[in-house]
Amino acid sequence: MRTDQAARPINTRRTPHSAAAVGLAKRSIVNITRLPSAFLPSVLMPVFQSIAFAGTFFAIIQIPGFPTDRSINWFLPLGTLMGAGFAGIGIGFSTIRDLETGFYDRIRLTPAPRSALITGPLAAALIRAALVTTIVIIVGLIFGARPTHGPTGVLFLYVAAAGIAALGTGWGLGLAFRFRDMRAAAIMQLTFFLLIFLTDAQTPLFIMDGWLELVARINPFTNVIRLARLGFLDAPITWNNIWGGLIAIVAISALTLTFARRSLARLSDS
Amino acid sequence: MTSPVTTAPLTPTRAPAETSTIAQTWALSVRSIQSLLRQPSLIVPSLIFPLFFAALGTSSFSRATGLPGFPAVDSYLDFALAGAIVQGILFGSTTGATALATDIENGFFDRLLASPSTRTGIIVGRMAGGMAYGAFQTLFFVLVLLPFGLSIKGGIGGVVGLMVSGTILALAIGALMSAMALLTGSAEAVQGAFPLLFIALFFSSAFFPRETMSGIYGTMADFNPVSHLVEGMRDLVIEGVSASALARAILVPAALAVVSIALSLRALRHRLGAS
Repeated sequence: MRTDQAARPINTRRTPHSAAAVGLAKRSIVNITRLPSAFLPSVLMPVFQSIAFAGTFFAIIQIPGFPTDRSINWFLPLGTLMGAGFAGIGIGFSTIRDLETGFYDRIRLTPAPRSALITGPLAAALIRAALVTTIVIIVGLIFGARPTHGPTGVLFLYVAAAGIAALGTGWGLGLAFRFRDMRAAAIMQLTFFLLIFLTDAQTPLFIMDGWLELVARINPFTNVIRLARLGFLDAPITWNNIWGGLIAIVAISALTLTFARRSLARLSDS
Repeated sequence: MTSPVTTAPLTPTRAPAETSTIAQTWALSVRSIQSLLRQPSLIVPSLIFPLFFAALGTSSFSRATGLPGFPAVDSYLDFALAGAIVQGILFGSTTGATALATDIENGFFDRLLASPSTRTGIIVGRMAGGMAYGAFQTLFFVLVLLPFGLSIKGGIGGVVGLMVSGTILALAIGALMSAMALLTGSAEAVQGAFPLLFIALFFSSAFFPRETMSGIYGTMADFNPVSHLVEGMRDLVIEGVSASALARAILVPAALAVVSIALSLRALRHRLGAS
């Protein structure tokens, strides 16, 4: 007896990188609707943070020299970056879930190029971050935020959010591949949380006292937050306020994505 | 050949003593505390995060203490202590309720119900563990922050007042979250309810005075009982022991505790009826 399957030639074609990456990105985006409980916190948390901080710390704009007269303008970019970071780290969470259930082993058995296992989730994180940023901006506008430099200024917020999402993805994937269980989730969140808050997240550098000022000055995330806030502060947009943030994003993203690629290679070797 | 064991009389020398309600509750309280101590990863965040935020706030907002509406304080750290204590207790009390939900999930709660222990002892035992931890947290925050410049105008009496307030607050929050655990039987649901406590904390005067807030934020803080609780505790730190400060620091969480215990007992009855 002849079977069609036995007669069929083995498929030796290599899946194009772009097709594999797009497929993985689509899967991640579809999961937003299939598992909203995993994505909703990354939207609700930055919205809540922006509103709550703006209300609680409303009075700090009265400090002489404060760079805006609206507290929501100060805290909205911070909330957005938190959301973008968690959009990236969330990719790490879902990868851990796939590793634990064994689904990731099946992905690795496909002929997809290894690099697509990084770029696919990265693309998904960038889309998620753009979504979060848009939602936070809309809610922020309702609560009184006003961009001070038009669409160009807002664009810097999107750039910073994309950068944070990219570095968050690299960090999340790298730790997921190393630990392969939920221990990694705690490390992802804690390190990101610390790095974001040990900056001028709450008040400008000139208002701080003591150890935090020193730490914030050397923390590269301070430059990223400065970039994100450009379109919401009264100060003019200058190259001096831009380049530090761009370099920080590129350098840290390169480091974390390299970490993710190497961790994936190590996972494949084991 | 007969062995001495098989020929030994089977009648017990005395009937097993029935344990008192207090002894049962005590045993369950000890179990509750031991389960916390055996899993440091569960309690460390509730000790570290409030201290981190207090340190962060002290460095960030030290110049804000001169703004109109801010009470006269030596440093922002003095102002922030009450908020840090409440924040820590909110974290810690959720841990105890999550453990109760886990007991329900893994069937241990049903085994307790099948035992001759009193129904309320099961719940009170869990809450007593949380109360002891709440008192410990309060003392821990005070002792850790003292070398960093914290000054408590109320002295020893103020610290005792803070501990009493922290203990009752732990009871109130523990009972509230236990009600959630009993109603849902799900640790995930208890964890999912935690953000509601976080919202209550942030829309209060835990981190900045109500007098500096405006519009809807100020109104929400005015109506939020957490504001009045925190302000009572804060007055013990920055002004000293007074009847007004003690009343707010103790009566507000006590009122919350009465309501939340009623809720948790009702949830227990609901669960017993369902099982």
